[in-house]
Amino acid sequence: MMSTVSAEKAWDELTLSEAEYRRAGARYRQRRSLRAYLFLLPYFIPFIAFLLVPALWSIWLSFNRGGILDPAKYVGLENWRSIASDTELTGAIQNTAVYAVEAILLVFTLAIVLALLLNRYRKGSNIFKLALYVPLLAPAVLVGLIWQFLTNFDFGFINLALDAMGFDRLNILGSGRLALLTIVLAEVWRGLGFWTLYFLASLQNVPEELLDAARVDGARGVQRFRRVTIPLLRPMLLFAVVIAIIANFQVFDTVYVLTQGGPYESTSTMVWFIWKRLFQFQETGQGYAAAVVLLAIILALTAISFRVLGARRKRRA
Amino acid sequence: MADISIKHLVKRFGKVEAVSDVSLQIADGEFLVLLGPSGCGKSTILRVVAGLEDADAGEIVIGGRLINFIDPVRRNVAMVFQNYALYPHMSVYKNIAFPLQIAKQSKEEVGLAVGRAAAMLGLENLLQRLPGELSGGQRQRVALARAIVRAPQAFLMDEPLSNLDAQLRIQTRLELIQLHQRLGITTIYVTHDQIEAMTMGDRIAVLSEGVLQQIGTPQEVYRRPANVFVATFLGAPPMNLIGGELEWVEFGWRFRGDNIDVPLSADVTSPPEDGNPADMRQVKLGLRPEHLRIGPPGETGGIAGQVQFLEPVGSDLFLTVEAAGTLLQVRTDPDSPLQPGENVSLLFDPWRAQVFGPDGQNLRRDTAPVESAAALAPAAAS
Amino acid sequence: MAVQAGGVAESDVLSQHAQEYASAARRHRAFGITKGLAAYATLSIFALIAIVPFLYLLSPSFRKSYELFSYPPKWIPSSLYTGNFGTILHQTSYPRWALNTLIFATSVTVITLIIDTLAGYAFARLRFPGRGVLFGLVLGTLMIPTAVLIAPLYIMISRLPGWTHSGINTYPGMILPMVCSPLGVFMMRQFISTLPEALVEAARLDGGSEWLIFRKIVLPLMKPAIVVLGIFTFMAQWVNFLWPLIITTTNDMKTLTVGVSSLQGQFVTNWGVISAAAVMTMAPVIVIFLMFQRWFVQASMAGALKQ
Repeated sequence: MMSTVSAEKAWDELTLSEAEYRRAGARYRQRRSLRAYLFLLPYFIPFIAFLLVPALWSIWLSFNRGGILDPAKYVGLENWRSIASDTELTGAIQNTAVYAVEAILLVFTLAIVLALLLNRYRKGSNIFKLALYVPLLAPAVLVGLIWQFLTNFDFGFINLALDAMGFDRLNILGSGRLALLTIVLAEVWRGLGFWTLYFLASLQNVPEELLDAARVDGARGVQRFRRVTIPLLRPMLLFAVVIAIIANFQVFDTVYVLTQGGPYESTSTMVWFIWKRLFQFQETGQGYAAAVVLLAIILALTAISFRVLGARRKRRA
Repeated sequence: MADISIKHLVKRFGKVEAVSDVSLQIADGEFLVLLGPSGCGKSTILRVVAGLEDADAGEIVIGGRLINFIDPVRRNVAMVFQNYALYPHMSVYKNIAFPLQIAKQSKEEVGLAVGRAAAMLGLENLLQRLPGELSGGQRQRVALARAIVRAPQAFLMDEPLSNLDAQLRIQTRLELIQLHQRLGITTIYVTHDQIEAMTMGDRIAVLSEGVLQQIGTPQEVYRRPANVFVATFLGAPPMNLIGGELEWVEFGWRFRGDNIDVPLSADVTSPPEDGNPADMRQVKLGLRPEHLRIGPPGETGGIAGQVQFLEPVGSDLFLTVEAAGTLLQVRTDPDSPLQPGENVSLLFDPWRAQVFGPDGQNLRRDTAPVESAAALAPAAAS
Repeated sequence: MAVQAGGVAESDVLSQHAQEYASAARRHRAFGITKGLAAYATLSIFALIAIVPFLYLLSPSFRKSYELFSYPPKWIPSSLYTGNFGTILHQTSYPRWALNTLIFATSVTVITLIIDTLAGYAFARLRFPGRGVLFGLVLGTLMIPTAVLIAPLYIMISRLPGWTHSGINTYPGMILPMVCSPLGVFMMRQFISTLPEALVEAARLDGGSEWLIFRKIVLPLMKPAIVVLGIFTFMAQWVNFLWPLIITTTNDMKTLTVGVSSLQGQFVTNWGVISAAAVMTMAPVIVIFLMFQRWFVQASMAGALKQ
């Protein structure tokens, strides 16, 4: 009796040895992972071919010259030496920075004000949202065209207005500072709708109860905005700053259409510089190196934004 | 239809062990309830059986087939989810037909099977509706119909009633019991609701923090809780616990504590072999509120106490009595004339009392958690 | 007595309070209305700034070029001159550019939608080793500027060793390098994550393969996200300038953005013709925008990159 009981397997005895169990488990998970990778494959083929490889290749290219018309040739640090002393590049970096700071500050200020207004006065706000959105639909070419019209010496709105008020007409795109300012205004004009809607959506994500609670606690409008809304919006703001930096440091279309970098390279931006070296001057080596500089600047600025805007979020948490 | 064995199951999420070495045997046709507070690992066990999570160790055997490494698709189990998980863009008919259509059954077969399932759950008139147009109870039926239409080997139900309102829950509970009696399909049912567990389960497995605490019929689990956790988790209000020591006095156990000295029956634990062992010094006496009777103050063998609060709930009156250095809950007649401040003595049948050792385990011999699972499984099947 | 006297005094005070309250409320209301007017005035000004420049283009497109220089300026043309539009249609490749743009933007959009939804599903609902790392890699590439990629891409498309044909001036050469937007995958993953996981799990138990679950359960529920990503991608390629500028050298392969900008060289100061081209370019987009405005606004919210 005792012997038959012990010969029978207990019901909860495992059937697989540890090694068998591990092997079967690995096979099972492998098959499942394989299916997942099949879903990823169609994306990752172009991702690797047209994003990862070119990104790494661009760094390698910065030690090369040629490539566009003829095969690339390794030249060591020559490109880097040549752009280090290139005042045109430093000028382009400076122009890009001035442009980006002005454009981001202006468009963010205006967009936040408009978003606050649209958030407070909702009746009929749809028509304003639609109107603000329209410039987004225009390719940069048309934006450039419109601003050429507005700034035209003979019949541009701005000069006609100056004339009517008794001032002298200005050769706007012919003067360096004004030309860069025109590019800022053109891009702000184009981007305002986007950022207004972006901040409006962020504001509408702030829970109404929190604002009500602050109101009951006696916080006035400005205080509520500073103490409740801004801290809650910090992640959205971080995202906005990062995106705006990435986008604005790549300004090109408007420059191409409005000023072609002129007068005297006073509106030459980094991408304009890169494009011209690569496809106009056949100074490809300098173009390659400048592209890596642009990449480094954008990565650095992104990191700084995360530091500055992200850190407080951590401290609060 | 099939029996299910869960053998030494371990499941970790990162460093947290959600399920620790749980073994369960579920007989063919049995209705087993996994009961426990949220986060106790009961849903995780269900999801591992379904194949939605991988086990870190241990085996799941359904109908003699090891299914750990078989895709959920081919485990042939049906699951009913808490939120019903109906496909919102498909009509009720298409929802129910979905598993059959995937299995490439002919149109006629699908039509017949859906018709049968719909009839069983009274959904005939709703087949063309979308899930969004149904009430919670109706959605629950559609989810059930979708589960039964494939005639699976087992049903897995993850808190299927918790999104229904109280009245509908009671009604659906009865329907589920009937459905199970009719189909006789092995079912694992996860819930945190003890009433559901008591009324529906052939057996209940109580879990806490990933560890199986006790498995047994509802009566066993209620009357002979294996440990303090089970004792206090089941029953509302929960079992009263009184700290004190156990002493063998002339062929019987006595429980002594703060203002309490009562005789217990001999079988609360096995008699000592020589002298009083030290671990009897810190035990807990467990008494259910409905097992305490109110007597006049000073009665022998009673616990002296003073009534503190009254909570009439209609069918019963719950008293809070200060006694034995703690507050005890007593269930009594709603027409009782007692008033707060009154002195009473509390009486109980000694054989109903449970005693828990310093480790929280019931000192009774026959309530160890796992051994009884194996012993009881065949009994539940018959 | 004392109580009564107190009562009289109190009611006086009360009525005084009521008057103060009423006048304060009036002031408050008046202040509120003024504030509201100022707000709506500000909004109107910016709405006009956004819209009016487009109208400014409309007028010259219906006039002969020299009329622009008349002084004082005339905004309403004396007669509608449609010759500018004829010039665009017959003397330039405008129709061909429009077709190219349509092919380019549509193809990029379709391919993007397919591969992004597939990858988004895998990232949101499938388990495989390296999920976090791969997703991080995809998000990290958000920061890579297009300008960094154009040179390698150009070299790759123009003459990769072993390729017998150059991809310059071909549709595949224009389209393929533009199809992998990290943002699209991110959007799709986020959206699929919001769909109840139990739906996918139920389908898995009901016997569906992952491919079938994706097609029959997930895809039909993703319609809003697909429309939003579709509009977003299409708009991004519709305004894309740098890439088409580089990858097309023949007139017949230009897109509208590149083509219209080349008109400025061809019709140096013929503003009438140029603005006619601009009007022809914008008009259909504005019509489409007004038809699907709700989706456009969502598209700009869901995504965020201009390029």
